Amino acid sequence: MLSNSIWRFRLSIIPGSLISFLLLLLAFGIFYTLFLNSGFENFSSVLITSRVQGLIKFTLFQAFLSTLLSVFIGTLLAWSLAHQNSFRGRDFLIALLSSSLVLPTLIVVFGIITILGNNGWINRSLLYLFNFSFENSIYGLGGILVAHVYLNASFAARSLLHIFESIPKERYKLAKSLNFSTYRRFALIEFPAIKLSLKSISSTIFLLCFTSFAIVLTLGGSPSYNTLEVAIYEAVRLDFDIPLALKLALIQLSITMFLVFLSSNFNIGISNIKTSSNQIPWKEPKKLQFFQLIVISIFTILFILPLISIFVDGFGANFIKILSNKLFLKSLITSLVIATFSSIFTVVFALLISDARRNFNINYRVKKTKLSSFINILISFSGNIYLAIPSLILGLGFFLLSQKFQAPLLLWSLGAILCANILMSLPFALSIIYPTMQKVALRYDKLSFSLNLNGSKRWLYCEWPYLKSSVAYVFALSFCLSLGDLGVVALFGSNEITTLPWYLYQLMGSYQTKDSAGVALILLVLTLSVFIFLPKVFKNVANR
Amino acid sequence: MRKILFFILLFSTLIQAQTDKPTLIIYTYDSFTASWGPAPKVKEAFEKVCNCNLEFVSTSSAIGTLRKIQLEGANTKADILLGLDKSSAGIARKTNLFMKHGLDTSKLSLPVKWTDNEFLPYDYGYFAFVYDTNRDKKIPHSFEELLKMPKSFKIIIQDPRSSTPGLGLLLWIKKVYGDKAGEYWKKLSPHILTVTKGWSEAYGLFLKGEANMVLSYTTSPAYHIIAEKKTNYKTADFKEGHYGQVEVSAILKSSKHKKLAKQFLEFTMSETFANIIPTTNWSYPVVKTKKGLPKGFDSLHTPSKMLLIDDEKLEKNRKKYINEWLNAIK
Repeated sequence: MLSNSIWRFRLSIIPGSLISFLLLLLAFGIFYTLFLNSGFENFSSVLITSRVQGLIKFTLFQAFLSTLLSVFIGTLLAWSLAHQNSFRGRDFLIALLSSSLVLPTLIVVFGIITILGNNGWINRSLLYLFNFSFENSIYGLGGILVAHVYLNASFAARSLLHIFESIPKERYKLAKSLNFSTYRRFALIEFPAIKLSLKSISSTIFLLCFTSFAIVLTLGGSPSYNTLEVAIYEAVRLDFDIPLALKLALIQLSITMFLVFLSSNFNIGISNIKTSSNQIPWKEPKKLQFFQLIVISIFTILFILPLISIFVDGFGANFIKILSNKLFLKSLITSLVIATFSSIFTVVFALLISDARRNFNINYRVKKTKLSSFINILISFSGNIYLAIPSLILGLGFFLLSQKFQAPLLLWSLGAILCANILMSLPFALSIIYPTMQKVALRYDKLSFSLNLNGSKRWLYCEWPYLKSSVAYVFALSFCLSLGDLGVVALFGSNEITTLPWYLYQLMGSYQTKDSAGVALILLVLTLSVFIFLPKVFKNVANR
Repeated sequence: MRKILFFILLFSTLIQAQTDKPTLIIYTYDSFTASWGPAPKVKEAFEKVCNCNLEFVSTSSAIGTLRKIQLEGANTKADILLGLDKSSAGIARKTNLFMKHGLDTSKLSLPVKWTDNEFLPYDYGYFAFVYDTNRDKKIPHSFEELLKMPKSFKIIIQDPRSSTPGLGLLLWIKKVYGDKAGEYWKKLSPHILTVTKGWSEAYGLFLKGEANMVLSYTTSPAYHIIAEKKTNYKTADFKEGHYGQVEVSAILKSSKHKKLAKQFLEFTMSETFANIIPTTNWSYPVVKTKKGLPKGFDSLHTPSKMLLIDDEKLEKNRKKYINEWLNAIK
């Protein structure tokens, strides 16, 4: 029975499963090489110290708080934006929301400090106006939370907005005619619609905060606010204790596995699919409208100020000098090429993996058995490998693999960067694309089966209309993520490959703050333009 | 895609074809090889005299470079490891990968006597706290005075586990306070605004005006004077003396070009090399030159004493020192 239904959906199962399998194989290969390198005896004798236990506890705690806050604020903002759909600059604001996540983390941290730091804009204005200022408010747990919420709430808002907007307008009409209160409308119509995405977004955000490195270190203030990554860094760099590093990495792996397990076994009853893009003809009640606009304005200001500070800081740079630097141009081109390839791969992978995975989550396609739920978890885990493996371990693994299988270093480093970038974007891509694809299947499977609509025709007529805006967003997101990633390049130390973020860190590391601010501005402008123009391009192509 | 791969392969064979001369490969940290760093000038100057090709391979930190060599094992292409701080050289010594250079070091003019015959210094400096004279007039002149500063007086330091200056401060305080270092750190901790992973973050935060002082080098103001024409950045002169950073290089036992490698190490003690260092690596060269130091360096404050902890003692206690710091600064 099971094999029969798998055979029936082989065309949708095989490509995605194959990719998943290769990803899992890669993860296994990396751990296995490290394990071979450290030896079994060493491995079993390593102890996890109480300090590391403390780090894990703190990391779980901060990730939990960060996720809670990010998701709450993200939902509030997405909800407000969904109901206020006609103010000026809305498209631009939505593009801005996505850009904070993809910029190099350190730039964002510096942007936040420029606003909220000791000598930040807020403190300076307070000092000027009231002769009062907050002291060190941003350093410590508070700072970590602010930065995490800044990065992730905007991501949550951006992806939830999609879901809110795809709730059929008929439902809102029904709610209106039944005279639902705002709360009842949310609880009965909106929450069921976003629930699925909320789960996958929360677990992605949790993992992002759990593995966050630059933010925790710069804003944490003291070594007691460190992360597991620091312990791994210490084990690899300082003590060259690979068995310990491996053990720490396995802890992270198990936590990730557990989260994926929790979030992958859900079923949805209602299918929410955008039916028309007609706007609802009536407006929200005055009071509610006021509240929503306040929410939007407050968070717009909070989200935009750090980006504005990047503009202000970068403006003073000597752009002729920066743009005429050969190394800059080389880094720019390298980054653009890598970003193009990795975003194309990411989109294709995400589509195929989601396509394969939904078979195992829809009862009438493949009957739910222990095996099929296990495969479902494996597939969904394969998309989260980047979060399961600490980046230092990933880099180390690639490096050891490159030692084993000799090939020109340039090839290896290109492959590693491309691979790391795809892995990095996949969790986001999947958490955006998968829920939509599952809903499309639930809604249109029967129709398309009866019409015998399959293969490319099904993609073209049935899936694409619902996926195109998600695909455009995922494409932009992974393009920019890869543009802003420092990644494994540094560990490899290949002279041939220099990326834009690498160049930026180089400038920062050698007193050239002015130029680095200029390069940060260029990165920001690039990212914003991708987010603003790519969805438009997709829209135009689709409308033709 | 296949075309691109083909070109990459073609390109790499072309590179190999052009080299009948021997190629000396130096592994180092990446700010050394940046286009504004010393590497391009060093390459040009050395290739004029060596009849060889000089190639730099860089990673993000010197200690990372050492780990890379260890991971590469017998396959390593490195002839020389350049860039370790003296405080980390002990870690490298333990790996037994490096050979005695056997060079005459009497030419060296360092504030301390140099006896190490594996690791040869190529530049040096002192760790110091940098401050902005436009912001602060009253600054501490010793570790004790630093404690007595008002509570709002903040410093930014780096983590000794990931950063060379961070380790420098740890050892500096250890050298000055000995067994009482832990206590000192406890008292200092209210003044520490944040502990960053690396120098770049710390210095960036300082330039944004987040703190009164940042842990850096006595030579840092030289950059602001020479490259930016700004004279408002100065270093606080600590009367206990300043801990030294001496950057060293060493030849790998596995090198196939030992003679050439020795020639390069000899070259790092030459006047040519010494003239490149100050304005590219922003530190002091290890030999005196006829030309002297560039203008701007004369206004720097030179510490009366360079403090250093004996290598053997450091290697025995490294982990202990770091744990003491971690426990004190919580």
